Amino acid sequence: MPAIVEVQNYSWEYLNTDQPALNNITMTIDEGTFVGVIGPNGSGKTTLAYSLDGLIPGQYHGIKQGSVKILGREVEEYPRGELQRQVGVVFSDPESQFTAMTVEDELVFGMENLGMSIPEIRERLDWVLDLTNLAPLLNKPPYEISGGQKQRVALAAVLAMTPKIMILDEPTSMLDPLSRRRVFDVLARLKKEQKNTIIVIEHSLENLIPLADRMILLSQGEITMDGPTTDFFQHIDLLLEKGISPPGAMRFFYELKRAGVYRGDFPLTAEEGWKHLERLFENSTTEGYPL
Amino acid sequence: MNKTLLGYVPNESPIYAIHPFVKLYFLLVVSLFPLFITAPEWNFLLMVVIFALMMYSRVNMNTLRIYVPVAISMGSIILLSYTVLGGIHPEYQLIIQFGGIHIYWERIRDAIVVYFRILPMIVTMVFFLTTSRERDLIVAMRSIRVPFVITYVFAMALRSAGMVLEDFQIVRQAEQARGFDSAGKSLFYKIRKYVMYMIPLFALSLRRSEEFTNALVARGYAFTGEASRVKRADFILTHYHFSTLDAILTTIISLAFVALLVLRYGFNYFGLEDSWIIEWLRQTLSS
Repeated sequence: MPAIVEVQNYSWEYLNTDQPALNNITMTIDEGTFVGVIGPNGSGKTTLAYSLDGLIPGQYHGIKQGSVKILGREVEEYPRGELQRQVGVVFSDPESQFTAMTVEDELVFGMENLGMSIPEIRERLDWVLDLTNLAPLLNKPPYEISGGQKQRVALAAVLAMTPKIMILDEPTSMLDPLSRRRVFDVLARLKKEQKNTIIVIEHSLENLIPLADRMILLSQGEITMDGPTTDFFQHIDLLLEKGISPPGAMRFFYELKRAGVYRGDFPLTAEEGWKHLERLFENSTTEGYPL
Repeated sequence: MNKTLLGYVPNESPIYAIHPFVKLYFLLVVSLFPLFITAPEWNFLLMVVIFALMMYSRVNMNTLRIYVPVAISMGSIILLSYTVLGGIHPEYQLIIQFGGIHIYWERIRDAIVVYFRILPMIVTMVFFLTTSRERDLIVAMRSIRVPFVITYVFAMALRSAGMVLEDFQIVRQAEQARGFDSAGKSLFYKIRKYVMYMIPLFALSLRRSEEFTNALVARGYAFTGEASRVKRADFILTHYHFSTLDAILTTIISLAFVALLVLRYGFNYFGLEDSWIIEWLRQTLSS
C-alpha cells in the first residue's frame, strides 16, 4: 500500500522553548493502517498530531525543519480548508472542540465548511449517526450531554467529513471505562468497514492494542520504538523504562518470563493471555518448566 | 422538557409550529408597541396578551417568578427617580411635601407611564427567550439572509457566555478548595479579592480560545464562510419551512403595528387623555 503520511527529518521547536518538541522524526504511514502512538507526557505526541493536520505551523509560531507530507504534498502547500478534507483531528477535551449549538449542527458544521451539498450532508449524517448511535441526541446542545457522548459527537463530527486520515489525540483521556469502550467500538467498526488511516494517541493501551496494526513510542520528541504491534510489545523493558505501563495480561507474562517460567511472546490481550496460560498449564504437566 | 434560552418548554408545544423568523419578528415589532402607547391600561393589556401566549405555548410559568423581584425593584427605582429625586417644578400640581422633597402628580403619572411602557417590552423579550433556543435565533437570522459569519459570531458569543460562567464556577471552586472563600465577608473585601477569580478566568479564556480556534481550523472553517472557495450549504435551514401559518402571523403582526400607528396618530387613541387609570389615580391622589 502507498504511504499516505511521509515525515522526513522533521523537527519542530515552539517559540521561547529550549528544546524541540519533536526532534528529527522520520516515519511513513501506509494507507489503511491503524497506528497507535504512545509516550509519556511531554514526549511530543500532540505536536505530532498538530503537525499532521497543519495546525503546526499554521496556528503556532516556531521553527520547523524537515518535511511533513500528506498524500505526497507538504502540509503548508494545501490551500485553506483543503488539508482538513484529508486529515481529521479529534482532540482530548471534547468540550473545547464544539463549534455549534446542537449535536446536529456540530455534525454538519464541518461538512458545510467543505462545501458539500444538502443531499450529500444528509447521507453522511445518517451514516455517521448509525455508526456512533447518536441519533437520540441530535437536538441536544453538545455541552449538556455526558463526557462519553461528547467525545462520540466530536468523533462523529470529524468522521462525517470522511477524511482519509483520522487522528485522535488522547480521545478517551477524560472518559470513564465504559465510555472509553464505546469510543473504541466506533473505531473498531470504522476499521472493519472503512479504509481510513487511523492514528490514535492514547494512554489506554487495553483498548488500543487489539485494534492497532502498528505502534510508535515517542520519548523526548524522538521515535524510540516503531513496529508492528506484536513485535512492539515484546520490548516491555523499554516501555517500562519510558514510563509506559503495559496491560495486566502482558505484565503478568513479563513477570513470568523474568521468573524464568515462560519463554514465548507476550500476549497482546487478556483473551490471548488466557490461551497462553492454558498452553502453559498443558505443557507444564507434560514437559515441565520453563516453557 | 426542551431547554430554551431562559427556561423550559415541553416537548409538545404549539410554539414549535412557528418558524423562528416569526418569533424574532414578533419580538422586534411587538416590543415597539409600548413606545406608541401612553395609556398604562393598554400596555397592561398587551402584557396580558403576551402572558396568554406564553401559557398557550406551555411555557413553565414557574420560571417567570424570578422576574417578579426585578419588576418590583425596577418600578421602585423609576418611582423614586421621578418623585423623590424628581426635582422642584413649581408649574406642576403638588401632591405632598416632606421638607425639601416635593411630590408632584405629573411626576407620579410619568413614572407610571414609563414603568408600564418598559414592562411589556421586557415581557415580550422574556416570551421570546423562554420559547426560543439559540438555534432558533440563528435560523431566524439566516432565513433573512444575514451573512453566515455574523450569525456564527453571534452564536459563539452566546455559547462563550455560558462557557465563561462555567469556567467561573470552576475557578471559584478551585479557590475555595485552597481555602479562599469570600462568603460572609464585606462587599468591599469581595470586590478587592475579585481579581483572584479574574486572573485565572482570563487565563482559562485564553486557553479556550486557542482550543476553539484549533477546532475551527480542524473542521475546515475559514472566516470568509468558505473553505477552499466552495459555496456553503445551510443544512439546518432545511428543517424549517415558512408555512402559510407563518405568513399569516407575520401579516397579522405587521397589520397590528400599522393599525397601532394609524390609531395613535390618526385618531389619537392610546393617549393619556383617554386613560381611565390615570384619571382615577389623579382624582384619588388629589382628593
